[in-house]
Amino acid sequence: MRVTGVDRSTGTGGQPVYLLDMEMSQRYRHAVGSSSPFYRGLEEGVLRATRCPECGASWFPPRRFCPVDMTETAWYDLPGTGTVTAATRVHSPPPFGGIDPPYVLASIRLDGVDGGITHRVTGSETPKKGTVVTVTFIEEAAAHPLLAIAFSVRRGEA
Amino acid sequence: MTSFSGDTVLVAGVGMTPFVGFRHDASVRDMVAEASRTAVADAGLRSTSQIDMGVAAYESDHFNRQMSLGQVLHDTVGLAGKPLVRVEGGGATGALAIRTALMALRSGEARSVLVFGGETNGKSVDRATATEILAMSADLEWETPVFGTFAAPYALMITEHMRRYGTTAEQFAQIAVKNRRLALDNPLAHRGMSITVDDVRSSAPLSDPYRLFDASLLSDGAAAVLLATSEWSEQHSPTFAARPPVAVLASAAATDHPRLSDRTDEMFPHFAAKRNAAAEAYRAAGIDDPPNQVDLAEVYDSFSGAELQAYEDLVLCPVGRGGQAAAEGRFDRGGQVVVNPSGGLLGRGSAVGATGIAQAVEVVSQLRGEVTGPRAVSGARIGITDTHAGVGSLCVVNVFARAA
Repeated sequence: MRVTGVDRSTGTGGQPVYLLDMEMSQRYRHAVGSSSPFYRGLEEGVLRATRCPECGASWFPPRRFCPVDMTETAWYDLPGTGTVTAATRVHSPPPFGGIDPPYVLASIRLDGVDGGITHRVTGSETPKKGTVVTVTFIEEAAAHPLLAIAFSVRRGEA
Repeated sequence: MTSFSGDTVLVAGVGMTPFVGFRHDASVRDMVAEASRTAVADAGLRSTSQIDMGVAAYESDHFNRQMSLGQVLHDTVGLAGKPLVRVEGGGATGALAIRTALMALRSGEARSVLVFGGETNGKSVDRATATEILAMSADLEWETPVFGTFAAPYALMITEHMRRYGTTAEQFAQIAVKNRRLALDNPLAHRGMSITVDDVRSSAPLSDPYRLFDASLLSDGAAAVLLATSEWSEQHSPTFAARPPVAVLASAAATDHPRLSDRTDEMFPHFAAKRNAAAEAYRAAGIDDPPNQVDLAEVYDSFSGAELQAYEDLVLCPVGRGGQAAAEGRFDRGGQVVVNPSGGLLGRGSAVGATGIAQAVEVVSQLRGEVTGPRAVSGARIGITDTHAGVGSLCVVNVFARAA
């Protein structure tokens, strides 16, 4: 932390007011931990989920332990298709950057797993509930690895 | 109920600071001290020496710039030496702190508990930094990388509500208008405004259909309540006999999947945890007809549409009819239930750790009949507070009642 300025003024009751401008910045090394195989999958062009060998429940976002019976799950590949539950056009960039606003964001129920993701849909049209979308892998470096994917509306199904 | 039994938990004192955009003359500890001093004086006490325990409510070290702030606040209000617990529950933090105090009192662990909360959500950091910090309360692994403000998940929920029930943007814009108008009569409110539905709809777009005026305010502020058993209040609080006692009749908390995309299609446009917390709170309070028994409700209107959704999940109107109720002004001043007489988060503002406590301050003041002028909900006997974290991941409903 460092102090970059001092402001001396007077309050509404005439009392002295003293303000410090302070700055602080952090760098983090963030372990994605049990989601690591998912992130590796993104680099290989595949979306991965997990399934519980005990009860058969499938999880996306993937979970290392099945929350139902605490059994260690196994990884498998998803087809990469899904259905929109709701969509919105967002007018500010995400915190890590990487998308110029406005952009379309949708809650998507994924095929092949009992789960879903809230993610970007390409194009400027806001898809309606029930619209079928497919994952697209983006070639250029993304601001965050999760932005290496987006979803596209299947031709003729908008 | 005509009177309360000896182990009933009463509200012995309440206090809050004004909610403002930036307190250039006070730190968070100053604000908590101001609110606590008011609450203690309201109980007729000259100090906190007779109080058994403290519960500190605040959400974010990123905003407050002080780790272990609870201990600093506890010491500031004269409770050093006494037990302390710090509570964090996102937007529900203040209400959860009241619930925690209630549990301590009901267990017999304490006979009196000072609940104090504060936050500097206002302009101590620039807007971009504030947005960045708040974005971290979405799921950092799966959500934060794709959306930066909470307008987005709220917008997804209300979009489905609109599709399913025919709710319109003009209907929830009316809530933004109502709460800012009600805040005009609250001297402690951050920003009361006289605006129209057109003003709301023509303000800057955030995440469709939400616009700037649909979003609540980020404030600096603090609030405190002194909760105590009836027996303790009678013994120690000189103001006890002077006014009708107000009890914490019930408190309930419930949770939901924090990530929106993990929720079922059926419940997607609803706050399931709010519905469950409300059902439990009403059951415990013996309320079986909320719209006719609840006189006022301080509701978590983080976005205008969230209040509309809360009408339904708090059982103040049937599911799917929140939009119609908003359009009819059914929960406006003079309505069946007055929702957010304080102005809510849209008008009174929100300093996260203080918000749920400030709601209780408003409800208790109303139930005691101490609110005068146009803001008064006359003859009110039962009031509730409603807050939630995230987009309803943790919901707390507290019920307050005045002895008849």
